Order: sequence, then C-alpha cells, then structure tokens
Amino acid sequence: MGFEIDRRPLWLLLIIRGLRPLFFVGIAVVFWYILTMPLPEGLSEEGRSAIAIFAVCLILWVSNAIPLAITSLFAIVLVPLLGVISRDETYGLFGNEAVFFILGAFILAGAVMHSGLSSRIALAMMDRFGASPKRLILSIFLLSAMLSCFMSEHAVAAMLFPIVLDIAKSLKLSPGRSGYGKLLFLSLAWGCVIGGIATFLGGARVPLAVGILQETTGKTIGFFSYSLAVFPMVVIMLFVGYVVLTRSFKIDVDSVEEAHSVFRGRIHAMGKLVYKEYAVGVVLLLTVIAWATLGGRFGLASIAFTSVVVLFVLRLVRWKDIEEYVNWGIILLYGGAIILGTALEQSGAALWMAEMTIANWASSPWTVIALFAFFTMLFTEGISNAAVIAILLPVGIGLAGRFDIDPVIITYAIAVPAGLAFLLPLSTPANAIAISSNYLTVKDMVKVGIIMSTTGYIVFNLVARFYWPLIGMGY
Amino acid sequence: MRRNYLSNPTTLKIDLMLNGIRTGGGLYEESSEQSGRAGLGVDLVLPKGTLVNVPSGDDFTKNSPYILKEDKKGHYITDGEGTVRVEVVPRPAFYNEKTSTGVLFSEIATVHGSYAVITPSPNCEFFDKSVECKYCAGNFDVDGTDKRLFTVDEILETAEAILKDGTSRIIYLSIGFSKGDDGGVELLAPYIEAVKKHFNCLVAVESLPPKENKWIDEAYALGADSVLYNLEIFDSELFEVLCPGRAELIGRARYLEALKYAAKIFPGGTVASHLIVGLEPPGSTTQGIDALTDMGVVPILPIYRPQSGKALRIEPLTAEIIIPIYKHLYKAVKEKNITTKWVREISTVTTPIEGRLLTGEYKKGVLSIIDGFYSSKLGMKAAWGLSALRRKLRVKEVEGKSSKSPKKTSKD
Repeated sequence: MGFEIDRRPLWLLLIIRGLRPLFFVGIAVVFWYILTMPLPEGLSEEGRSAIAIFAVCLILWVSNAIPLAITSLFAIVLVPLLGVISRDETYGLFGNEAVFFILGAFILAGAVMHSGLSSRIALAMMDRFGASPKRLILSIFLLSAMLSCFMSEHAVAAMLFPIVLDIAKSLKLSPGRSGYGKLLFLSLAWGCVIGGIATFLGGARVPLAVGILQETTGKTIGFFSYSLAVFPMVVIMLFVGYVVLTRSFKIDVDSVEEAHSVFRGRIHAMGKLVYKEYAVGVVLLLTVIAWATLGGRFGLASIAFTSVVVLFVLRLVRWKDIEEYVNWGIILLYGGAIILGTALEQSGAALWMAEMTIANWASSPWTVIALFAFFTMLFTEGISNAAVIAILLPVGIGLAGRFDIDPVIITYAIAVPAGLAFLLPLSTPANAIAISSNYLTVKDMVKVGIIMSTTGYIVFNLVARFYWPLIGMGY
Repeated sequence: MRRNYLSNPTTLKIDLMLNGIRTGGGLYEESSEQSGRAGLGVDLVLPKGTLVNVPSGDDFTKNSPYILKEDKKGHYITDGEGTVRVEVVPRPAFYNEKTSTGVLFSEIATVHGSYAVITPSPNCEFFDKSVECKYCAGNFDVDGTDKRLFTVDEILETAEAILKDGTSRIIYLSIGFSKGDDGGVELLAPYIEAVKKHFNCLVAVESLPPKENKWIDEAYALGADSVLYNLEIFDSELFEVLCPGRAELIGRARYLEALKYAAKIFPGGTVASHLIVGLEPPGSTTQGIDALTDMGVVPILPIYRPQSGKALRIEPLTAEIIIPIYKHLYKAVKEKNITTKWVREISTVTTPIEGRLLTGEYKKGVLSIIDGFYSSKLGMKAAWGLSALRRKLRVKEVEGKSSKSPKKTSKD
C-alpha cells in the first residue's frame, strides 16, 4: 500500500470528505423512497423491494464508494431481509457453479504463475519471435492475447508488466514521450483485453453471466460453444488492433537487441525447465481439453476442482502459494451479483424495468442486441465488468421473451462487450497496469482506444448479425 | 559606547546570545547543567516571556558586560548601568531520571523551551571523514564514536517524560547525515509513528534533505508535522567551505529545492531552515531570509557561538550589526504571510515573532490573546487536532502506487 499527498485546496478536500456521509444518506433516502412508493402497475411488492436493492447496488457499484465485493454482501443481506427470496435460497445461490468455476480458475492460474511456466513461455516467445521492433510489438500483443485465453487477463497483464517494463528500460525509452514505449504497453493491454474475451478463462465475467443465466432460465453456455461464437471477433479485433497499434504511434527505435539481453538474462535466471513446470503445464492443458469436451457432462467447476486436487496431490503447489493469487473479493462480488440477478428475475422486477426502458426504445431483436451491447460497452468503461453484467443481464433476460430472443443470445450480447474496454485506465485492470508504467498517458489511451471501442462495437454487431446464425444462434 | 539593550527583551536576547553572561559562583555551577548536554548555557526568562539560552562559561563570555545576579527578590541581569529582572529556568526534573534500560533521559533529549529535541541516533556520518561542518557542536557525537541507536521504547519513554514535565509540547526528532537517499526518513519512521501512536503531540523532524521528494511526502504521511532542513549558510562559496559534507553529498541547490517542495506539502509555517548568524556577512543572511520566505519557509537564525580553536565568526559582530537582520526577518515573514506560531518560545534562537519587538509593533490586546492561545494547552491541542485533520485530508492511501509489478486488483 502506497500513498499520495493530495495537494488540492483543503476546503475542497473538506467538502469532498463531507460529501461522503451525505452520499450515503442520499442512498438511504433513495432506498426508502423506492420501498415506500405506490406500487406501479405490473410490479409485485417483492419486485419493488428487488428494485430498491438494485438501485442501491447500482449506485454503489458505479460510484465505487465502497469495495465492489462489499456492495455484493449488501445485496446478499437485503434480498432475504426484504423477503424477495428466502434466506436458504439466497445463500444457496451463492453456491452457484459459476462462483466455484471462477475460484477453480483462479487457483489454476495461480499455480501456473507460481510455477514460473507462464513467465518462461512469455520470455521464450518474445525472444524467439520479437526480432525487430514491429515483431516484438506483435509478439507481446499476441502473447498477451494467447495467455489471456487461459488465465485471467489482469493476471496476465500483471505477470508480463515487469518484463515489458524491463524491455522499455533496456531500450532507454523515454517515459511519456517515446512512441515505441507507448506501443509496448498498449500492445500488452490490448492483447489482454482481446484475448480475455476469447474463452471463459479470460475473466470471470463470462462465468458470472452464465451463472446468472443458469439461475434465472435454467439454460447454460458451454466452454467450447462460447469460444466458437466469439472466435471471429477475436481474430478481427487482433488484426485491427495490430494495424491501429503500428499506425498510431511512431516506432522510434531501430533495434530491439537490448531487449533480447533482458529476455536471455531472465530465462537464464530461471534455470532449466523443471518437473513442476512440466507437470503444471500438462494439468492445465488437460483441464482446458476437459472443459471443451466434457464441460457439459461434468460441469466446468467440477473439472476445475479436479485439476486443483491433482495439483495438490502431486504437490505442485502449496495452499500458501495459491492464496496470493486468489482474489476472494471477486468471489463475493460474483456470488452477490448472481443473487441480485436472480432476485430481479424471480420477482418480475427485471421484466418490469426492461419494459419501462429498453423495450420502449427497441423495435426488433437486432436493435435489442445492439442497444444492450452499446450500453454494456459504455458502462464497462467506467465500472466493473462484473457490475455491468449484474446490472444489465437480469434486465436483458427479462426482455428476451418480449422480443422472442433466446436469453443465451442476450447473455452473449452483454458478456462479450463487457470485456471490450479500451478507453480508460479504470475500464479494466490491464489498462490500469499499462498506464502505471508512465510510458503511456491517459490521453494516449483514449486517443487510440476510441478507435478500438468503435471498431469493437461494429465488429460485435456484424458477428452477431451474420456469423451467429451460421452456428445456430439466430435471433 | 555600548547601547543599552536591557529595556527591550529581544535586543537583550540577541546581545546576550552574542556576548554570553557572567555568573557568580554557585549559580554558574547550578545553571550550567540546565541545558542537559546541549552545550553550556543558562536558560533565562526575560521580560515579556522571552526565553533565552545564554552562553555562559565559554571563553568568549568572559568579557561579557552582563552579569547574572541574585537578591532577595530573585535573579536579575545587570550591565553595570541598569538592571532587568529575569527568571532562571530550573533544570527539567526528568533529566536525572533514566529509561528502563538505564539511559539518562538527558542523554537522549534536550529541552529548548517549548520544544524538546530527541536524538535517536547520536551519530552523524559526516564526522571523522573530513567533511564535518566546521562549526558543528550540535547534538551529535563530535568524536565520531559509533553509539548505538536508541530503541523505539527508549524514545517513547523519553517523550513521555518530556510531555509529563510539561515545558515542551513539540517533540523534535533530530538526526545528522545518514547514508542513503531518504534523508534519514526510514530511520526515523518507527520513532515518528510510535510517538504519534502514543501521544497527542506535534512532531517535527530535523534532518538533512532527502535526494528525492517522495521521502518528504513519506515524512508527512508518517506523522511529521514540521520539517527542518538546515541550510545554515546561504552564501554558496562559504557553504562549500564551512559545510563540505553537505555541499558535496547533498548540495545547496537540493537544499533549496527540498525546502521549496516541503513548503508545499507541510502546513504553512512548519517548514524551517536555520541560517547561522555570524558565519557569513549580514547581507548574505538577509538574502537567505528573502529566498527562504519567498518559498514559504521560515528562516530560523541562531547566533554562532564561538568555540576555542574554531575562529569562524565574522568580525566585528555586534548587536548593532545583527539586529537589522532580525528586523528584516520579522518584516519578511509578515509581508509574505508566513505563520510564525510554530517557531516560538525557543531559548536557543531569536524567533521571527520576537522580531516584532524590534519594529515597535508589539501591542497588547488581540495579538497577545492570540499568542496566549497558541501557547496554551488548549491551543496546542487545537494545533494537534488541526494538524491531524489536515493529514487525514491530504494523505491518500493508494494501492500499488509504485510501478512495481502489480498483482491483484479488485476490478475485473
């Protein structure tokens, strides 16, 4: 934990601090107002309570006034307290398979990172393929994307960050000024973002969305089916990303030979490939194959936990090592989001809200998808991906029936764009990590990020409109 | 023909610090121990509550026109032509007490009026390396002996004794030059945190400037309410001659840069720097006052006390020559609206606020009520509370601020 000295005028700081209690009083007033307002037509009492809880969580998730996970706990407490869902069912929902899949994926990713295998692969690939400045950018970009297919994108960004920072330093790039410095960190961030939407593993948002879908409709999305649906989008975005990258900033270095000495130095320091790395790699590979082929039969979480057990049986990791990599807050966040989503759906509140909002603006299934994708991408630039899903998905699922859209399609329309965050450092941890290098400014990120976000939105809609029907996902 | 300074406490303080005082017999023996280990001197309270530590017993004091005497009514000073009543400040009772580890409190701390200096590390890396400050006889071990660091508990016990004694309400943690880029902040960190944790008092840090500004932020965030980076000599050439270690390892430019930065981080009037009067021409000291006050730094002007074998003082040096410097100091802090409530009631220096007695601006009434409030227990509690509130508002904890490898974030 570090600190900053806030040098703004003291009177301003006093006002800002003073606003916090007022802010919470305001939330309480909103909550009370919704709870006591006359019941609108078509909304049940439980639905009104669910909307009151939803409003409070929405404000807290968007404002980040308290940690996201704590907002989720708030939802977990209020849902049974106001009688929206029974207490047993509420806590039962917390045990959703998606939550446990996320936990299993964190542990597996932690094992891979702890073993050093991921760093070794990254270094070897960059050393092997990054011969010229452009090829090194491409290597970092593709490598980040590839690794983000197998582990959380922010874990990949965090893992590769020191390596990329060493590259920038070895090339004596000037922070904030060097075009190549900007490219290095943008390629890291964008690679993670694009790779992160490719599979269930890139971030916990897809499992969360599937969890909400499962609890509210009983339907699900398979590991392989998801990747198949987003595959063209990932390929197109990688291509566009590379083109935008190499044309947006000037490459101001002639050679990257010094970077290779960094790679070799680090590889040398790691020593030879050891049993633990081999074994963890094999377990991960088998896990991914099992997810793709047996996921539907045995469940993704069961496969993940089987692999986790194997890791411990083979003594490839210790619990102490894993604890460092598991973000327990995310587990709480997702559990709470699933409970809130289910509460909104079961009480009819989601449908009622959808009827009052998007249903009035949309005229066809296609516009519903386009609208949800738009709002998702807009929200995800400012608030947590998971919070966006928790906010929009229940509403989307509620609206699906009205337009005769399969809720699975709505889930894609929200879960996929939720990962397409290119604009701001607060949009996703990968962006924040890239900005923290000081080689890249927020202005740089926004300048080129807007191209990527616009392209991402267009590509998503084109893929949804023309490709999905080809694989049986018509609407 | 000497002027009569007895009627004005500030001029008398300056002249006493310049010439010292002669004492009679037992009184000298008794009072020479008052100041603990911070050199010889008698702590006196002059009229209008003006505190002064008067050199006594040094060679240069033998020709002082001032004599401290005692009659039935108490103590008084005479210069042969007139007299003025004074009080002799008794030696703090805790000086004779020891820490639980057996160290005399007087070895760790020295009371200088409203503040007490605690020296956790009685060593300075400059000593014995031919780069020590030529005038130095401060709180440190001038023999260069490697004394151990006092423990946090020893410092806490000392701080408790000081605060119980009640004379001093500000704890100055003072160290000499330490290796590293942090200006001693890392070394002082546990002491600052511990004192802040256990006592509601103000803490000042007197050290050498760190090489990077982030350490100044760190000192503030840790709990330091005030910071002193003592430039000592403003003239650049004399600075190199008299402070070779500071010039070589820190540099005058860094001193000024660090002071300027600190003045933006710490509350107004809490960043100070010593300029020693008598080691450089008065014009140079005056320039230093202007430069420091322009940055929002409070200049503190101790008068050089000549030591045998160290004839560094500019000559002639008389009260007539240096009083204008203190007048200028008062005018400069006033013109630039620099608060002086932090640097007050100090026996070893003439504070900027005492300079108003030189300009005839001292008036009883609202001003003295405000002064009284700042000096009162309630005033000190208010200062502590405001200082703590300011820190709470200013210091923001941020996750993963450094550019080291970030691991987990709460956003996904």
